[in-house]
Amino acid sequence: MLNTTLIILAIFIIAFAGFAIYDLATAKRRKEVYRVKSSLTAYLMLLPAIVLAFLFIMLPILYSLGYAFTDYYLLKPNDINFIWFDNFKAFFSELATKGTLYHAIKNTIVFVVGVVPLQIGTALLLSLFVNRPGIGSKIFKVCFFAPVVISLSVTSFLWLQILAPGENGLLNSLLGIFGVAPHDWLRDPNTAMPCIIVLSAWQGCGYQMLIFLSGLSNIRKELYEAASLDGANGWRKFWLVTWPGLRSTFVYIIITVFIGACRILTQPMLMTGYQDHTVTLSYYMYQQGYTFRWVGQSSAVALIMTIFIGAITLIQRRVFREKK
Amino acid sequence: MKKLLTAILSVMLALILSFGMTACGGDPGEESTDKDGNTIVKIMFHVDKSATEGQAYQKRINAFNAAYKDKKIKAQAVFKARTAGASGYETELLNNQIEGTLADIVTFDAPNTAAYAKSGLLYDISNLISSEDQAKFYSLNKYDGKLYGLPIQESSAGFFYNKKIFNQAGINVSGYTAENPWTFEQFKAVCAQLKSHCTPVDMRIDAVKDETAPYLLYSFIHAAGGSFTDSTGYVANGYYNSAETAKGFQFIKDLITAGYTSYEIGATDFFTGKVGMYLSSGWTIPDLDNKYKEHFKNRDEWGLLPYPKDAIAASATGSWSYAITNNHHTDKTAIVELLKWMTSAESSKAITDATGMIPARKDVENTYAVGTPEYTLLKQLELSGKERPVTVAYPTFSTTFNQVITGLKTSEVSTLLAAATNTLQLEMDKLQNLHG
Repeated sequence: MLNTTLIILAIFIIAFAGFAIYDLATAKRRKEVYRVKSSLTAYLMLLPAIVLAFLFIMLPILYSLGYAFTDYYLLKPNDINFIWFDNFKAFFSELATKGTLYHAIKNTIVFVVGVVPLQIGTALLLSLFVNRPGIGSKIFKVCFFAPVVISLSVTSFLWLQILAPGENGLLNSLLGIFGVAPHDWLRDPNTAMPCIIVLSAWQGCGYQMLIFLSGLSNIRKELYEAASLDGANGWRKFWLVTWPGLRSTFVYIIITVFIGACRILTQPMLMTGYQDHTVTLSYYMYQQGYTFRWVGQSSAVALIMTIFIGAITLIQRRVFREKK
Repeated sequence: MKKLLTAILSVMLALILSFGMTACGGDPGEESTDKDGNTIVKIMFHVDKSATEGQAYQKRINAFNAAYKDKKIKAQAVFKARTAGASGYETELLNNQIEGTLADIVTFDAPNTAAYAKSGLLYDISNLISSEDQAKFYSLNKYDGKLYGLPIQESSAGFFYNKKIFNQAGINVSGYTAENPWTFEQFKAVCAQLKSHCTPVDMRIDAVKDETAPYLLYSFIHAAGGSFTDSTGYVANGYYNSAETAKGFQFIKDLITAGYTSYEIGATDFFTGKVGMYLSSGWTIPDLDNKYKEHFKNRDEWGLLPYPKDAIAASATGSWSYAITNNHHTDKTAIVELLKWMTSAESSKAITDATGMIPARKDVENTYAVGTPEYTLLKQLELSGKERPVTVAYPTFSTTFNQVITGLKTSEVSTLLAAATNTLQLEMDKLQNLHG
């Protein structure tokens, strides 16, 4: 492992040096003034970030990329063989059996479709609410942002208490006041994923609310005044002034929330365990690599997932791009 | 620029893919002798050093070092406490294997025997431990006819029951002992009598996020005459989905359907007098003796019943074990000395005195009086203990078992077992291909 890392590091340094030399050669060819000293300073200043990025971003990605084409089994770390596209073939074969992988993909899609609009919609509503001048706006900002700073593990356990089955569960005891019978929210395939969607949207929307708030602060007040003079009501002001002003913020938020939603793992893991009705693609990937020890296959799933997320993100950027 | 960038990235990728997979060697590991000429034997434990169990291990290591001072053998203990489940400890074990720093002796959970042995992590000790010594243990970590590990201690489980509630319900269970266990039908009859007084039994069917439910419930399937795999551990089809296996799961489903047990029972409901019976292992005994005095003043207020039988009597067994690893130390003489020391009758007693578990050896003197919970667990282990399936695909078995237990409320047993068998068989086929 250490040898491999050193080899990758050496290749990385050679590549980096190659870029620097190319940079120098290009500058000379174009007869630009190129100060070696100042360039060296710039490269040195870049170095800490590059080292960290190499260790914690590039290295795992490159390893994972390589392992996706191998039969790496966790208990046989010294017997890794190239199997080319066998892991990808196995992925699609397993998908055809409509087993756990099929459920993982289905549940991930359900989660993404549910949580992205809910989380962004809630964040937008909250930002519009706290953006209005008032005594309580700062308190509300803190309250709405609070779940973001609490770890997902803690919020998951908190919601486990809320959704606990039987009469002792907080939600069940509240519903019991209205004569509703206790329900096992997380074991019922019809209610488990909606519960996880609501919890995730609640936990995450505070962060998007802050980003929307910064977007709202960039919209000039004069535009609202002009709209008022033209007789626009609240909805027309939102549609014609606020929404266009938030467009670029919205694109950023939809992309980041989408990517985050595709990677959901903690909530189903802590709340239900590895069950067909809540397993997600990330959880499947974790289980394959960590519990079942198929690192190669898990890496192949990661690669497929990365390609899928990248493709959807590109489509999103294209759909939501500013029209000239 | 674009062309150059593409070329550089392509070369980088090709080199990484070429070298990356072949250069996973690692350092040869530390020297096996210290500056005083002592042969160093490293042993890795799965518990924290400051825990009662950890302290007991350290004491035995210290005693070994004192006893083997003249023979120039010195044991070094490494403590890596397992976190949730045992996966964190396993990661440490595998990292050490990759780095070439694997300890000479490691502790490991018994169901991993097959996978660890097959992958070459464990050393075959069949010829190092005499058959006379092997016979002294209640169970052995065997795979494919070879011995790979010796248990540290043993465990068994049973039904803790609230005597006050049983008396109120007029239930007499004094005739149900480890030697003469009750039947599935008698178990249901007791549940029916209890139902008007409390929730009859906590079968732990909600404990499906780790190994708890498989450990506590697998023996019901054996009791019904079922099984999970064949003797090779590579065939699940015809076993996991057999009629007998289905009967075992159906028994648990019947308890849920009749309202005798449920997924909603709280973790402390038995201890606070809301549930009549509680399925658990020996580790619950200290809790009942010390933590819940308000509800259970003394041992007159609670008891322990064995697992019910059907086609046969079967009960849960298995705990953590010691194994010698296939590390870079080829001379295993000193290592075997330490293994024998740690699995001796003296060590076995010292460890189980600290943990409250059952000793792994038959020759450890016990003072359990007939009828005590400890006696019931020990007798049950001797008479009906059945190990969990020995298969290289154990993690998948455990996962599918938990999925079946979760699905019992809403799905038919046959449907659940068909899906579970399919998943497990697929995994077994993959592993058989891998191992050749």
